[in-house]
Amino acid sequence: MSESNTPSSSSSRPLYEGSTQFRNWRFSQEQLRETRTKLSVAAAKQIKDAFETDSARPFSRRSCRGQPGSSSDVSFLAPEEEQLLVKLYVGKVSQLCGHFRFPEEVEATAISYLKRFYLRNTVMDWHPKNVMLTALFLATKTTNHPIPVEAYTSTIPKTTPSDVLDLEFLVAQSLDFEFNVWHAHRALWGIYLDIQSLPDGMVDVSELQDVYRNSAKHVRASRLTDAELIYAPSQIALASLSMVNPNLAQAWGQSKGSDAILPVIDEIKSMITSDGQAPDVERVREVDRRLRICKNPEKIVGSKAYLAKKAAEEAKEQEKRMKKAEENRRNMDSGNPFGDELGSGDGDDPNLDDDD
Amino acid sequence: MSRAGGLLKGTVIRKSGFQSTQQSRSATPQVASSSTSITANIPLGGGVKDATGKTAEYSVHLSLLLKSMEDQCPVCKSDRYLNPKLRLLVSACYHKMCESCIDRLFTLGPAPCPICNKTLRKLAFMPQTFEDLGVEKEVAVRRRLAKDFNKKREDFPDLKTYNDYLEDVEDITFNLINDIDIAKTEARIAKFRQDNAAIIEANIQRDESYASSLREKEEGERREREETARRLAQEEEEQRILREIERQQLIDKLEHSDKDARKLVAKSRAERLKQQQARAAALGTTTQRDASKAIRTRAAQSTIPDPPHVPLQDDWYAYEDKFTLRSGGYYDPISEAVRRDADGIMRAGGYVVEDIWERAIRTAVAGLDILPLSGFPIKEATPQATAARDVDVEMVGVPG
Repeated sequence: MSESNTPSSSSSRPLYEGSTQFRNWRFSQEQLRETRTKLSVAAAKQIKDAFETDSARPFSRRSCRGQPGSSSDVSFLAPEEEQLLVKLYVGKVSQLCGHFRFPEEVEATAISYLKRFYLRNTVMDWHPKNVMLTALFLATKTTNHPIPVEAYTSTIPKTTPSDVLDLEFLVAQSLDFEFNVWHAHRALWGIYLDIQSLPDGMVDVSELQDVYRNSAKHVRASRLTDAELIYAPSQIALASLSMVNPNLAQAWGQSKGSDAILPVIDEIKSMITSDGQAPDVERVREVDRRLRICKNPEKIVGSKAYLAKKAAEEAKEQEKRMKKAEENRRNMDSGNPFGDELGSGDGDDPNLDDDD
Repeated sequence: MSRAGGLLKGTVIRKSGFQSTQQSRSATPQVASSSTSITANIPLGGGVKDATGKTAEYSVHLSLLLKSMEDQCPVCKSDRYLNPKLRLLVSACYHKMCESCIDRLFTLGPAPCPICNKTLRKLAFMPQTFEDLGVEKEVAVRRRLAKDFNKKREDFPDLKTYNDYLEDVEDITFNLINDIDIAKTEARIAKFRQDNAAIIEANIQRDESYASSLREKEEGERREREETARRLAQEEEEQRILREIERQQLIDKLEHSDKDARKLVAKSRAERLKQQQARAAALGTTTQRDASKAIRTRAAQSTIPDPPHVPLQDDWYAYEDKFTLRSGGYYDPISEAVRRDADGIMRAGGYVVEDIWERAIRTAVAGLDILPLSGFPIKEATPQATAARDVDVEMVGVPG
């Protein structure tokens, strides 16, 4: 594919570095922490205001009724607690995929989508339950294993197609419409194949199957961690292999000339060991209970805050439309139906666009 | 009623002769016995004379299978309730009337039309071809004019005169349809006919000869095709017979000779091959093959040479130096089901397992040396700016 004769010439860009996963969805530990904290704080503030709106009306549904300022009693979720909840639902994705018999690619993609979504949104705005269903549905489509939405929701109890489809655009938008994900399980498969090309004597083919199976388990565990947001899938795969057979992993890595990367592999290994387990059920239940209280009323269809927000948006749209109509009318009256030349008219509002 | 039968079958009403008279006489018992003259020898539609006889009468049209209960004769106001076999015919002045009214008014000779007082004969009534009487009238007018105004573009020195002629024709047509200045318009038509009598005649001849030449060519082609088909069938027969004979000979030889059976069979096959080749050479190139060859050589000479093929050029480094695909294949239980699948149901068209292995290994070596980010690095460019340049060159959704 590369036009240059020298393989790793500086003029050609490596494929992985052209992917959106590398360009846009790769963070450092510190960045992740900061993003989540910022998100949480901003969400808390917004929800607090929403509570004010909500409880200011006479027939509020909130547990704190009709008392402004009572929302300060509500404690919002900390970022770590949010992540706990997300982790729980990541585990649920695996269960669902097993139930539907989706291939591993669908499962991995859906989990990536879920994680990325909650880097842009907070749990208090969008409960992971429906987001998880939508992310899985979206993943089936983007990986070319689609199923009809009716078939999807009919097998899941207490779900309607609208539950899934309503959030679809939001999820896609939160992903910046970047749907392609490179996965560690495929990299692991590649390592498994490529190991067979190593000079004989290093590889024991009879054991290879077991090694692969166990490594695959570690890859699945890595999906519960933040590994894919920090490291490359090939590195995660190598780390999984290293947890089962360190010598083999080292041999293969050396054959690829990647000795320098071994400390990184160790980082990943420790991450998988420490974070790669399902969350404690009791803790999650507690978080869920608290979530019910501090949910953003603006997102609950039918609540006062929701309606108020809708009304505010409508008013803004209406104002834009009036402005545009006014400008048109002015143009017609002045005898120049197509308007003045661009930029010369004083009626130009930079906020108006073609759709208004 | 034959009409009813025709209704269901959608049959055509042809330019009638003796036959339909018989049918229609039995078919319309309500109409008085002297009704023959209505249905006998009826040209189709109000003035729409279709020479091919393929245009069906309006009320028999399949789309009107459901005869409307609202049809009403404007003269006697009877509808389908009073007269289930109500059939409205159209006069020369384009007014509709039911058959019984026509009969009543016009049997004793020409009489004025009850609507517009124009004198009409019984013969002047036609069944309707088009739903809209206006269309009917227009089609009739145009048919009539087309007989006289049959000049073509070649008859005129330049485009302007041709267009002027066309405009005149349209003018006349418009006048006739909308009853404007009828007398003057008729005078114009007569004048045109007088002035251009010779040309009109010549044009008629030209159109006829063109039509007949087309027909002849079609005939010729059809005959040719039959010929070749017949010849091919004949050849097939001959071949089959020959083969039978040869097989018989072979069997005989096998029976009677004591040589090795295999050698005999091989020898006979070789002989057959030789004969086939000899026959082909003897036939030489038939006219058909000649013609197709000629076409091909002409096409080859006239085509523009292809510009040299430039493959897709980009400068992506795909880690080719980091791995080589093992030529003997891999021990791979994961893809075994897809590879073993005998009917190829799981493999989409163009599925090559080596591509899948290559993709997996490429993923395994891609980005292996990239150090993870740390701290808060600043992004160099916005995603939008780089996205315009860089294409995400992934293959998504390949099975396996």
